[in-house]
Amino acid sequence: MLSKFIRMSSRTKILSFYAAALLFTIGAALTGLMISSVVIPIPTIVHILFEKSLGLGWLQNVEDNTFSIIWGIRLPRVLLALCVGASLALAGAAFQGLLRNPLADPYTLGVSSGAALGAVIVIFFNFTIVGLGDFTLPVVAIAAGMGTLLLVFGLVQLSSRSLAIETIILAGIIVSAFIGAIISLIIALSDQNSMTQIIYWLYGSVGMRGWSYVQLMLPFMAVGALLLITHYRELNALALGEDAADHIGVNVKRGKVFILVGASLLTGAAVAAAGSIGFVGLVIPHLVRLLTGPDHRHVLPVSMVVGGGFLVLADVLSRTIIAPQELPIGVVTALIGAPVFALLLVRERLGRSVRP
Amino acid sequence: MIEVQQLSGGYPDTPVIQNFNVSLERGEFFAMLGPNGSGKTTLFHLLSGRLSKTSGEVLIAGTPLEKMRKLDKAKKMAVLSQEVQVSFDYTVEEVVRLGRYPHQNGFLKLLSAEDQRVIDEVLNLTRTEQFRNTRFRMISGGEKQRVLLAKALAQEPEILLLDEPTNHLDIKHTFELLDLLKTWQVERGVTVFAILHDLNVASLYADRVALLHEGRFQDVGSVDVLRDEEQLQHVYEVNVRTQPHPDVAKPQLLMVPKPEDAPLEPDDFRRQYSIEQTTGHVHVTFNAPVRAASSSVTGAGIDWLKHFCNFHVEKHYNSESPAEDVEMWMNELDIPPAQAAGMMTAVRTEDAVFVEDERHGIRLLAAVTAGVGNAVDITAQDTNVENFEVGTINMMLFLDAHLTDGALINGIASMTEAKTKALHDQGVKDGATQTTATGTSTDSVLLAATQRGEATPYAGSGTAVGRAIGEVVYEAVCEALKKYDEREGRA
Repeated sequence: MLSKFIRMSSRTKILSFYAAALLFTIGAALTGLMISSVVIPIPTIVHILFEKSLGLGWLQNVEDNTFSIIWGIRLPRVLLALCVGASLALAGAAFQGLLRNPLADPYTLGVSSGAALGAVIVIFFNFTIVGLGDFTLPVVAIAAGMGTLLLVFGLVQLSSRSLAIETIILAGIIVSAFIGAIISLIIALSDQNSMTQIIYWLYGSVGMRGWSYVQLMLPFMAVGALLLITHYRELNALALGEDAADHIGVNVKRGKVFILVGASLLTGAAVAAAGSIGFVGLVIPHLVRLLTGPDHRHVLPVSMVVGGGFLVLADVLSRTIIAPQELPIGVVTALIGAPVFALLLVRERLGRSVRP
Repeated sequence: MIEVQQLSGGYPDTPVIQNFNVSLERGEFFAMLGPNGSGKTTLFHLLSGRLSKTSGEVLIAGTPLEKMRKLDKAKKMAVLSQEVQVSFDYTVEEVVRLGRYPHQNGFLKLLSAEDQRVIDEVLNLTRTEQFRNTRFRMISGGEKQRVLLAKALAQEPEILLLDEPTNHLDIKHTFELLDLLKTWQVERGVTVFAILHDLNVASLYADRVALLHEGRFQDVGSVDVLRDEEQLQHVYEVNVRTQPHPDVAKPQLLMVPKPEDAPLEPDDFRRQYSIEQTTGHVHVTFNAPVRAASSSVTGAGIDWLKHFCNFHVEKHYNSESPAEDVEMWMNELDIPPAQAAGMMTAVRTEDAVFVEDERHGIRLLAAVTAGVGNAVDITAQDTNVENFEVGTINMMLFLDAHLTDGALINGIASMTEAKTKALHDQGVKDGATQTTATGTSTDSVLLAATQRGEATPYAGSGTAVGRAIGEVVYEAVCEALKKYDEREGRA
């Protein structure tokens, strides 16, 4: 009886986490739509959203200008931040589970470095692929990210047949370091203009991208998120180690490949759309795990929701702190994320010494 | 249930296991034993499917292992290995839940009511229910193994593969875990294939054991495999002795370390002991423990002892707990009871007879007290056992020889024969039947050996040891009876 009661109450607890996460993110999104150089009241925002998407507006005399600010500029920006934040947090949670290392993040495997290299090359050579136009940069970036993943896989395959975790991490670090060196080389070779552009891009931004980037990101994000969320049980099983996972019937190698591909798709798309934004993938899953416990069935979706909301808020800060100028969003996430992470570390140690 | 035919496999270049055959019945507990590097772990990985074989066949309930889908295999077979590291703070129930992995269906693979029922059952069975919501990392090693067992059982397997599951556990948790396993094996007819490190544990729990040596079976069979000392010595390269468990009909093994001391000179037997004789007791002390077999009041059975006492008691001494009394008297004399054998007699200990001699090349010491007021013919029909008068014959004999357990028992029989002959020759009669007495109703006997030199397997009348025992015991008992007669005559 008692255990049943506990189970029921833990179920309501989990449900309340989902509700809180959703509320947080919706709140963050509304804040993102409301605040900027011009503050637009929330009823107007809601009206515009309903009018534009469902044709169900109820307010009269809303200016065309307001329409285009919300629908043309702020909404895609908020949605992109949502997508990027969700992707990074989800990928981070998956990498941490897969690599059984709470310090892993979406950048551990070098996918982001690869995507960044692709983007940097596009900026440096300033070329466009015929038929892609402005999409050249994100497409090349995603392709380069995937190429990097294949390179890492190849390296791992050559050195160990079983896709050992340690080998994956090492191969990722080596490839990242090598790509980092190439990026530095390109920066050193570029002129003042492209150097500024590259560095700014590397710090990350979700502004001035428009709807097209959101549309570009969505398919990658959908596939990646589906791959990861359907493999939550494998992620849980891997916490016992690969042998133990194998013994309960998990196809460890296939599971690892799916999870790696899913997380890499998310990371590559996020980096291609918004540059390398740090700490979201590291801190958000940690925070979520503190609340929901380590079960990936909840960690993955809640991380996704909270990550999206977090990046929207970070974007609000980045464009308001020194308005009318903008801070790179990567700087904001690092400035918030690093102290929060440090706090989590200390808290964990304190918590451990208090509890028996 | 498991059929292994001509199995070979291992690592590239080194086929650890070669042409291996074994067949496991449903519901049996099969233990694999063998030293490190004998191929146990490789064989285990070949059976669990972690390593691929190079040739041969592994059939699980008739299906070739490599043809089974991973999920089907996990429904049939669960693995419990040494303690595993769990990353992140999963709760105990979440860990156990993983055992339901192969049974979960549907797109979302959510937990069904049946899954929850099995989880509750195995948590209850492994007595880990109270940790259900505790974090796995916070419980003790023994509890962790019980939780991992619960996870394995949650798979509802027909076969359990165990890879040294008790390696890090203390004695209590080892036996708790194995008792649980044994219960499950017997109740559910689960087949258990276990790699065990501890031969004695294997002997207690396994139905069959196999001894693996350099990738091949040295021997397979009942636990009697563990009675073959020579074979164990060959496989493990240590000096192993086997002994029956005192309560369970299974063998237990004892390891013999390399000898520490240089053997003593044969002629200093007399300097090995000292004798104390007072009106209250006789006390023989040896410098080093000797191996003694006895039927004394305390220290009976076979043991290594240093102190041998014979206490004088009142004629009408009657106690509910003679052993406690003897231990109390020992404590008064600063004799550690754990290292001592104690007898008691109503005979005056001043009349004890000591014979120190060398017979048939064997140095020995005999200490005898005799009283025959109670003499009995053990073969006579109407012997009144209730009758209690002064008198008992207590014999202690110490040899400078090496006797096996069999020889010790044989030697005690020789002592008894000699005693009976002495009673006959001295004309001692059973008071009730007036037939020749064979002893008294409360005789004690003790035979001890220094265990130096070559081991002697027999100590009957056909051997030098037996002759020496017979002669000395006969003389000492005759002498003691004469002293008894003198004192009784004076009285």
